[in-house]
Amino acid sequence: MLVLAVTVGVLTAAGVWLLQQRSMVRAIFGLTLISHAVNLLLLTTGVPGWRVEPLMSTAQAADAADPLPQAFVLTAIVISMATTIFMLALAVIGRDDDQEKVPETGEEHA
Amino acid sequence: MTELMTPGSLLALFVAVPLLCAGLSVILRQRVVDRILLVGVPVLAIAGAVALMLFHREVPVLASAIGAYEGGIAIPLVSDTLTALMLATTGLATAASGWFLTLTGEARLRFVPALALLLMTGVNGALLTGDLFNLFVFVEVMLLPSYALIAVTGTWRRLGLGRMFVIVNLVTSLILLMGVGLVYGSAGAVNLAVLAGRAAEDPQVALALTVVLLALAIKAGVVPVHGWLPRAYPGTSAGMMALFSALHTKVALYAIFRIYFTTFEPGSPSGAAGAGMASAVAGVIAVVVLATMVVGAIGSLGEQRFRGVLAFQMVAGVGHILIGVAVTSPAAVAAGLFYLVHHVVTMASLLTTVGAVEHTYGTGVLGRISGVMHRDRLAAVLVALGLLSLAGLPPTSGLWGKLGLGLAVAEAGETGPAGAWQTPVFLVAIVVSSVVTLVALQRLWGSSFAGAPLHRYWPAAPEGGRAKAQTLEGEVRIPLRLLAPGTMMMGVSIALFLFAGLLMPFIDTATAGLFETGPYIEAVLP
Repeated sequence: MLVLAVTVGVLTAAGVWLLQQRSMVRAIFGLTLISHAVNLLLLTTGVPGWRVEPLMSTAQAADAADPLPQAFVLTAIVISMATTIFMLALAVIGRDDDQEKVPETGEEHA
Repeated sequence: MTELMTPGSLLALFVAVPLLCAGLSVILRQRVVDRILLVGVPVLAIAGAVALMLFHREVPVLASAIGAYEGGIAIPLVSDTLTALMLATTGLATAASGWFLTLTGEARLRFVPALALLLMTGVNGALLTGDLFNLFVFVEVMLLPSYALIAVTGTWRRLGLGRMFVIVNLVTSLILLMGVGLVYGSAGAVNLAVLAGRAAEDPQVALALTVVLLALAIKAGVVPVHGWLPRAYPGTSAGMMALFSALHTKVALYAIFRIYFTTFEPGSPSGAAGAGMASAVAGVIAVVVLATMVVGAIGSLGEQRFRGVLAFQMVAGVGHILIGVAVTSPAAVAAGLFYLVHHVVTMASLLTTVGAVEHTYGTGVLGRISGVMHRDRLAAVLVALGLLSLAGLPPTSGLWGKLGLGLAVAEAGETGPAGAWQTPVFLVAIVVSSVVTLVALQRLWGSSFAGAPLHRYWPAAPEGGRAKAQTLEGEVRIPLRLLAPGTMMMGVSIALFLFAGLLMPFIDTATAGLFETGPYIEAVLP
């Protein structure tokens, strides 16, 4: 139980630190770490010990794991994967455009 | 009337129709179809929502368990008068923004109609769902198209701003997810009907729910965590900003109202174990709401662009709406909900009108254009009415909004979190916010709409973007069709001023639904 709590804490701290960096790619890594931390947190809301797969044809309800946090985590993983890919695309498109690139459209900086 | 035979299952149409139409728009790729869908689907949603509001006069709450699982296990779609009111309001603003996007030609850009419809799917889903995890999922459905839409059009800064918008919203979503996880861990359920009143009983559940409320506060743009909103929104185009301002912050506000009143039950006196925690939360909300009203108004003094001023006014508006959550009397909640409707309508009108000015003259920087009043009478009249509405003056809905809030605060007396201080503090905040707003809006008007006649402009260049400044010729005017959406929304605002009595019964029913959670629970858990 303590191991899980410490892991969540370390992942979040590392993620927040990475998020403070200027580079977009580091920020993305930071967000990935935080989302892992949140996924672990969601899993701990079920019973954290190892339990039988929640298939009612083979297991007793008393021995089975809580399937709901697992469903939550699965959904969250899918969503965070999609956003990570989108952010990686943004990182490639907009490299350095906030520092060096001059607009080509004739607009002035205002 | 066959629809009314199985009314609950029809709720899913609010989600399914925009989603399917988004797919249709991607497959067909016909401009005509795109235009019809972009305006037609929100209009359909308005019709459906109005029918729902009328239906709720007889059946207060309508719930539908998706997949026909048992109540408590199933993911429910729930609608009451408040939900229907929000569906109608957001639908109206979406229709106006969609109309404006087709007029400026932004709807021709690939995937824009499909993404806007997807955004609407997420909004309707988030308004209807009665399950916290499902709320997170629909908020993500709402955000993913927004990430793309914010970067499609606007100034060249939009890519950098788009990255900022994505990161802020993603962190917020993770906080929301964390909160949902903690709620499940402490209460064993994420169904709102099951959670009803739990925060008032159990400090642990209350603490978990404050994490959820924090995430929603970031999304709503409440003051200590509002910084992303006035930076991100002016960078995108006016049409997109109109779309976002009506949908994103307002969905978060709706969720705050719904979750806070259902779980904390602030209206009912309770000596339960969680009372200390709940009153601490109420105190924080009061401080934050006061700060939001004042900081939003002051921030709009310092902005250099039309839409920068309006973005800070949105922050101030969020503060006014949340007075209902801070001063938890029925009158204050009703006034807050009316202010929400008024604010969506006024903002949509102002943003599309100012967007038409920007689209024609090529800049939204204060002082770089002047004397629009002498060239475009209609645009000037619309903006003047919109600014009066924001300040809370007749002949617009703003008067009833501000007046209602003031009266409700004065009536509420000493029952709120700040005790005897509550009434004077809130009244002073409302007045200060209004006066500062008036000064800021007067500055906008004086620098750009009054003043010397305009002699330079930045016409749209054929390859996209803006050409160099040119001398303005006499015949350049804002096309009247560009002003049509703004005119329509201003008409709605004036109608709200003249016929506020027609809307008030619905707002009162919606307020009663927030305080009396019994029918809601009965409908979801039969």
